[in-house]
Amino acid sequence: MEKAFEIQRNARDNVKSFQTYLTDLQNWETEMKRKEAALHGDFEQDLPPVRSKVRKERPVQVKKKPENRIPSSDYKAWEKFDVDKACEEVDMADVGPASLDSKKSEVNKQEKFRDEAQYEKERGNAFVKQNKWDEAIACYNRAIELVKDDAIYYANRGLCYLKKDSLHQAENDCTEALKLDPTYVKALQRRATARERLGSLRAASSDLNEVIKLEPHNAAAKRQLETIKTRMGTKGAKSKSSPLSTPTLEEKSFTKAKTEAAKPKVIELPQVEPTPLEKWKEGLGENITVIKTVKKPPHLRSKRALKHITIKEIPLGCTVPKPKIIEIDNLAQGDTNNNSDTKKDIDLSAKGDCIQDNITEKVGGNLVHGVGHKVPPIDKMVAPVNSVQFMNEWKYLRGADEARSDYLSIIDPKKIPAIFANALESDVLSELLRTLYEYKDKFTLGGVGAYLQAFANVKRFSALAMFLTDNDKLLINKMLVHCKTKEALSDDEVAELKNKYEF
Amino acid sequence: MENQDTPQIITHIEHNLNHSLFDCKWIPCSAKFVVIGCLPKGSGTIEIFEITSGEINKIKEIERPNSYKCGTFGASSDIERRLATGDFKGTLEIWDLEKTCQVYITKEHTDIINSIDGIGGNTFNCGAPELVTGSRDGTVKVWDPRQRGKPVANMQPMKGEIKRDCWAVAFGNSFNDAERIVVAGYDNGDLKMFDLRTMSLRWECNLRNGVCSTEFDRKDIPMNKLVATTLEGKFHVFDIRTQNPTKGFAQVLDNSTKSGTIWVSRHLPQNRDIFVTCAGNGQVSLWKYEYPEQRFHVDGHGVAVGVPGKLNRLQRMVISSQPINALDWNKDHLGLAVATAYDQYVRVIVTTKLNLH
Repeated sequence: MEKAFEIQRNARDNVKSFQTYLTDLQNWETEMKRKEAALHGDFEQDLPPVRSKVRKERPVQVKKKPENRIPSSDYKAWEKFDVDKACEEVDMADVGPASLDSKKSEVNKQEKFRDEAQYEKERGNAFVKQNKWDEAIACYNRAIELVKDDAIYYANRGLCYLKKDSLHQAENDCTEALKLDPTYVKALQRRATARERLGSLRAASSDLNEVIKLEPHNAAAKRQLETIKTRMGTKGAKSKSSPLSTPTLEEKSFTKAKTEAAKPKVIELPQVEPTPLEKWKEGLGENITVIKTVKKPPHLRSKRALKHITIKEIPLGCTVPKPKIIEIDNLAQGDTNNNSDTKKDIDLSAKGDCIQDNITEKVGGNLVHGVGHKVPPIDKMVAPVNSVQFMNEWKYLRGADEARSDYLSIIDPKKIPAIFANALESDVLSELLRTLYEYKDKFTLGGVGAYLQAFANVKRFSALAMFLTDNDKLLINKMLVHCKTKEALSDDEVAELKNKYEF
Repeated sequence: MENQDTPQIITHIEHNLNHSLFDCKWIPCSAKFVVIGCLPKGSGTIEIFEITSGEINKIKEIERPNSYKCGTFGASSDIERRLATGDFKGTLEIWDLEKTCQVYITKEHTDIINSIDGIGGNTFNCGAPELVTGSRDGTVKVWDPRQRGKPVANMQPMKGEIKRDCWAVAFGNSFNDAERIVVAGYDNGDLKMFDLRTMSLRWECNLRNGVCSTEFDRKDIPMNKLVATTLEGKFHVFDIRTQNPTKGFAQVLDNSTKSGTIWVSRHLPQNRDIFVTCAGNGQVSLWKYEYPEQRFHVDGHGVAVGVPGKLNRLQRMVISSQPINALDWNKDHLGLAVATAYDQYVRVIVTTKLNLH
């Protein structure tokens, strides 16, 4: 009987304890959920290094020179010994430079994030190469999360969205990238493409104009702008009443200029009489040209080598005839009937860099790009000092073989290896060889042979030689014959060249 | 016989998932847990469940082409809570579950990763965050999530030796930044203890049955006890405080229950002397290790020899019709556990009166 009661009581007890447990559990659940919601603090831990790197990362221990011990018999020295100072030194040694450490960890953290983001970016780029857009986007997402102020990650993600036809997202990403770096040409071009496909042609063309402003020789942008303009031309008539997208603020000024350009009707602004100060500043009423100061951020400046301009002193009151440049300027403006104010600003600002540039840039910007654009005469050309300058000019002179040969001829062959360093590419080399061959009589600075030798001395030439086409080789062969006959190159030198060009 | 203090093991919530389950883990600092499994078509799933007043709600499901086998939160902090998983192809992945993306992927194993363990994620754990994986390819690899691609330590059989299938791995002895030990159990019954500080094999023995699961009673103390469970219903408890150069560690063997393979054994996070074993017949047993009066004695040669204690079964309960292959105690709430079994059920189990022991 006793037993039965006990079992009954036990069972009751168990049920009771289980019930309490369940209430506890319930409370715990709500508590956990609350705690979890609050779990978004910064979390930092001081972790020991990665196992395999332990040895590498061991901090450098500063070796202290043991101070001269005072021999116990040297009583005079002991009298001078400062006990307090010695005690302090011992105390300080224990504490160590603590403040230095904490600062370092913060920097380390940032660096770690950047490393990680870089790693993600590289993974993303690899995915892009394999056309795996979704995976790439995931990588860039993580990179952006780690480092929020790098335009590249946004621009790359924008490209992926573009490829996936998520045009709005692509546009947003590019805008984000441009917020961080307003001169990021790739982002501008991607946004232009996105906008073009979204149908906001005006916005797209304003982006492209920006690109051309930043990179005047950007052929792809020009082509794209050209197609957009033709699309706008055909579309404009039909969809004038129902624009596909409302132009945003930044587009408005451009839109206005564009419509003016389309319709020759010019609204005359009421003339405002300039104040005497303005008059003086503009040089009105005087027979002089005022050169205005130009402020341009470094990336907008011309990449060409600076030219030496001799400054002539003019006695006061004596004025010089108007320089030719102004006329050319006016002419160009008259030609293109695109007399928007913004355009003029560019012209004026470009003037600061290089007077000759002005004409060419102007023409390049407005006329059809390609064969037949004006090229500077040989005496205005400047020999480049690095590959960037060379490539800029070389690309610009595309189609004008004669000018290219002029340009090449002013470059001292001895300097060629230094100019190119290791930036010579096989297609450029092919072009160089063709130019060299076609105008072989032009090269007075040591002849064709000197140039051939110079190219062969460019760094990593052996790799370039492998990519020479049959046509290139044919040209080289012919040139070598030419060298032998006309330039009196010795057999040894020819053989060496042949060896270098891998015949 | 049952008395007032006997704990009860009760299945609080049962939830059928209709696919195979391999592992389950509580997400630290939450009332949620992840269940790792595979669908009949062979793709792997990671599912997150939350318990809300007696019910399980699925919050998230991740499906990937390769089936996952095991997972751990051990190497991740309680804030980040990143799940490290091993899959059938030998890939180790670390997941950011909130964003549903991998933050670390590496495939260094050539075959299935049978077992994974992590350490160092929490502030109270000493040392670097590290993961250890044991694979059918015979290797045991230690990883640091901060080092991409390559393991920080690799334990593999010598050239020419037969590669044994590694079934179980566990970290332990991590009581300071340098010390750390990995134990690995193999299908031929080998149990090996690797010292990561000295990078050497510290001790090995053969348990004569494949080692299904092994665990230290605590990871972050000088090693104290080790449980290793095997096929045919046996499990060994080693007192690893005292290592004798010839006899090794003292051990208690339990083969009293004819319950089939003991798939897993897990120590209670709140009491290191209590642990649970999950058997092939769906039975969970709660054990308590009773220490002897003297944990070691000095033999005739003046060398310390460990003295084994006794095992005391507190409770047992059949909760499943099929083997229970994984169980995880909740770190924050005493007596709360989640278990998966081959009957495709995930169960939340509560054990009462554990505070009385």
